[in-house]
Formats: sequence, C-alpha cells, structure tokens
Amino acid sequence: MIEFRNVTKRYPNGTIGLQDATFTIEKGEFVFIIGPSGSGKSTLLKLMLREEVPTEGEVYVNEFSIHDMPRREVPYLRRGLGTVFQDFRLLPNKTVYDNVAFAMQIVEAQPKDIRRQVPVALALVGLSKKARAYPDQLSGGEQQRVAVARAIVNNPSVLLADEPTGNLDPETSWEIMNLLDEINQRGTTVIVATHEKSIVDQMRKRVINLEYGRIIRDVQEGNYTNED
Amino acid sequence: MKIRTIKYIVKEGFANTYKNILMSLASVSMVIASLLIFGIFLMLIINFSYNMNRLKAQVEIVVFLENNASQFETDDVEMKIKNDERVLTYVKITKEQAYAQLVTQYLDDSDLLVGLTPDFLSDSFRIHLKNVEDSEAFTEEIRKMQGVEDVNYPYESLKKLSTFLNWINIGSMVVLALLLVISVSIIANTIKLTVYARRKEIEIMKYIGASDWFIRWPFIIEGIIIGFIGAIVSFILTSYLYNSVESYVNASTLEYGINDLVKLVPLGSVGGQIFVIYAIIGVVMGSVGSIISVRKHLNV
Repeated sequence: MIEFRNVTKRYPNGTIGLQDATFTIEKGEFVFIIGPSGSGKSTLLKLMLREEVPTEGEVYVNEFSIHDMPRREVPYLRRGLGTVFQDFRLLPNKTVYDNVAFAMQIVEAQPKDIRRQVPVALALVGLSKKARAYPDQLSGGEQQRVAVARAIVNNPSVLLADEPTGNLDPETSWEIMNLLDEINQRGTTVIVATHEKSIVDQMRKRVINLEYGRIIRDVQEGNYTNED
Repeated sequence: MKIRTIKYIVKEGFANTYKNILMSLASVSMVIASLLIFGIFLMLIINFSYNMNRLKAQVEIVVFLENNASQFETDDVEMKIKNDERVLTYVKITKEQAYAQLVTQYLDDSDLLVGLTPDFLSDSFRIHLKNVEDSEAFTEEIRKMQGVEDVNYPYESLKKLSTFLNWINIGSMVVLALLLVISVSIIANTIKLTVYARRKEIEIMKYIGASDWFIRWPFIIEGIIIGFIGAIVSFILTSYLYNSVESYVNASTLEYGINDLVKLVPLGSVGGQIFVIYAIIGVVMGSVGSIISVRKHLNV
C-alpha cells in the first residue's frame, strides 16, 4: 500500500515538484499518473523510491516511512519495488539472462532460486528464446521487456514504470502495456507515469492527473482528459 | 555477507580490473611512481639513521684516573665499569702503556719527552656503551667516584648530532605524509574515471536495491589489486636501484678509504619490511582511492 499525506516537495532551487498531494493506492491497483512534462509525475515516483525526500507531509510505501527513514534502509525499500524506465537501463555487457539474474544476485538470493525464477520471468515477458542475447542485439520493445522481467523477478509488491513506452512505437507500446496489465492481474500493484493519451483512454484504469505539482483529478476508470 | 556474495564481489573486482586494463595500468603506474619516490625517501632515512647510530656507537667515553690514585681506587673504578650492565666493552690503559704510546708517537722528536716518566701520566679506561642514550648518566656516576680525575665525553657534538637527526626524521615524515596524500588523490582521480565509466551501472544497481557496500566492494577489490601489483613492481624496481647504488657507494667509499665510516644498510636485512610497508601503502592507497571516487555516485 502506498499513501501520500499532504506531501509537498520543493527543490533547493525553488521549483515546486509536488504541492499538497494526498492519495492512497491500495494493493493490487493499476494506476496511471498523467500530466504534461514538469507537472510532478517524476517527483511522485522519485518520492516513492526515496530518491527524493518530501519537504512537507508524509509518504508511506509498504512498511517504510519515506519522510523519516535512514539512508541505509533505502536498498530494502527498493527491493520491494520493481522499476521500469523509459530508457530501459539494462547493463550492456551482460546477457538478457544475466541482466535479470543480476537483480536476484544483489539481494543475495539462493543460486537455485535464481536458476528457477529467471526463466519464469523471461517466459512471462516472452523472451525465453533471447536469454543468451545482449541488449544491443534486441529491439526497443524487447529491451523494455527485459527491464520488466528484471523488475518483477524478485516478486515485488509494487511495479513502478516511468514513461515505459516513451521510446517505443505504438504497437510495441501496447505490447508492454498488456504485459504490465497481465502482471497486475497476478496481484502486483502497478503504477505507470505516462502521457500516452490513447493507451490511458482505452485501458480505463484509475487516473491521477497532475498539473503544476497539484493533483487536479483522481478518478477510477478515467480518461486522459476530463471530457466525460 | 554471504559466501557467494563475497565470491561475486571478488570475481567482479578482478574482472573489472582486467576489463578496464588501460585504466588499471594507468593507476598501477601512479602507484609505482608514488611508491618509488616514497621508497627513495625511506631508504635515505633508513641509511641516515643507520649511519648516525653507527657513528654514535663509535664514540667512546674516556675515564682518566688521578695520577696518584691508589691501587684500591683503581680497582674500585675498574670493578664498577666491569660490572655495569650498560657497558659493551672497555679497555684499561695503564700509565706505562700510555707512555709507550707516546714514545712511539714522538719517535722523531724524542727530546720532547725528556724528563717525562710514566708516573706523570695516569691510568685510563676507554669505554663503549651498549646504548648511547645512557652516556650522560653513566658519565656522571663515574665522575663522582674516588680517584677519578676526569671523564671525557663529547656531550655537545653528540647532542647536536641527535637534534639534527631528529629534525631530519621529522622533516622526512612530513614529506612522506604529503607524498601519500598526493598519491591517494591522484589514484582516486584515476579510479574516478573507471567509476564514471560505470556510473550507469551503479545507478541501475542502486535502483534494484543493492546496498552501498555491495556496490563499493568490487571497486575496493579493484583498488587493492592495483595497489598490490604496484607494490610488487615498485619493490622490484627499488631493490634493483638500491643494489646498484649500494655497490657504487661501496666501491667509492673503499676508494676513499672511508668504508668503515659510511656503510649502506644491506637490502637483505630490511627488504622484507620494506615490501610489507609497500604492500600496505599500495593496498591502502588503492582502496581509499576507490572509496573516495565511488562515494559521490552512491547518492542516488
């Protein structure tokens, strides 16, 4: 469960990242965070990852209190959050398999668990056949699927995706979104920051709309715009 | 930390050292350069102290007895010297021996010695102490004894020598410390380049939830490998240089007949310690350099 209570984030240079945001995301929800560039989408995700600390208010992610937690606990917070980025962020010198296995190695998983779970994650994203390939031998959509496999291999309770389709063509974008939806069906909370209007409009999920750092709309089964 | 994590970290450290072979070589050269300069200073200090101490040890204390000292007083002083734990060796020179020495010295001007008999002279003891530091106390004790006319001991010059030696030591320590700081920062900068090249990797690891130490350790291993290789190469170079300097110095002191006065410490007796010092400095330089250079990138 994720909870924001009257959260404001002001950056040292004076810009407002987020202004008095309050909302709760329950376990198992699928939520789109939408809004134009600079509206606070990234700030919201950064606060969940504790890349930033709130200036005011309280943020709770799983059992962690982001506004009040020692730096050394940050890795443990992040192990419960899978992350997917616009630019994939794969390790270029590791194979697909190793990129995914790496996420398990750093949390000191048992080698036999690694051998069991990595193929499962790769099968889920449909890349079993490309396990031995290197990232630069894959298309953008395939690379993003590797990133998704890496994000879910440790069975996080929450999957955060920051513009996951920003670098992909519409057809591939849909593949990734369907994949995220499938992961959500299995019980993982999925939070997607995006400004892909067509996807948001068709998927009919909860929408949190930000503008100038404020939440201007928070609706279930919402559209990208406020027309209906 | 689990064994397989340690295995991963060590493997990663070696792999990265090899993968960034040019960077590693650059860092190794930095370690070698610093250790060689350090080594030159170290060998200078070692040899300086060694020769100073040898000089000090050659200084002798001469005790002159009164020329009318009784046999009892003479024996008393000799017993005292003989039984004192601080004395390394001593020689007794009787007035007859002293007279005989004078006679041989003034063989050509024997008229100078006309009318001089051994009775004008006095018995004396020439003493070497085990530890030069005891000289002052020892001298004072002997001076107070019955039948002792005077004790000759070059206080002033020895004091000056000691002070001089101390200043040389302090000065060298300061230079060495400065050198170390400079070397560490140069190494940190070199490793910073490899860290910079891998900043994306570090960022990804941070997002997946790697702990700071998990990220830091492979870099530290890399630093240790670089430092240790640097130490080995520097030690080989230092030994080679030192041996050639030593044979040159030995040849020239022999030529000038001062080979008893100036002597280089043989490498065999200090080589082991020097290698240990090199290895420690190299490893510390490498790992501290790594920690410094990776620090900035961990704040994600």
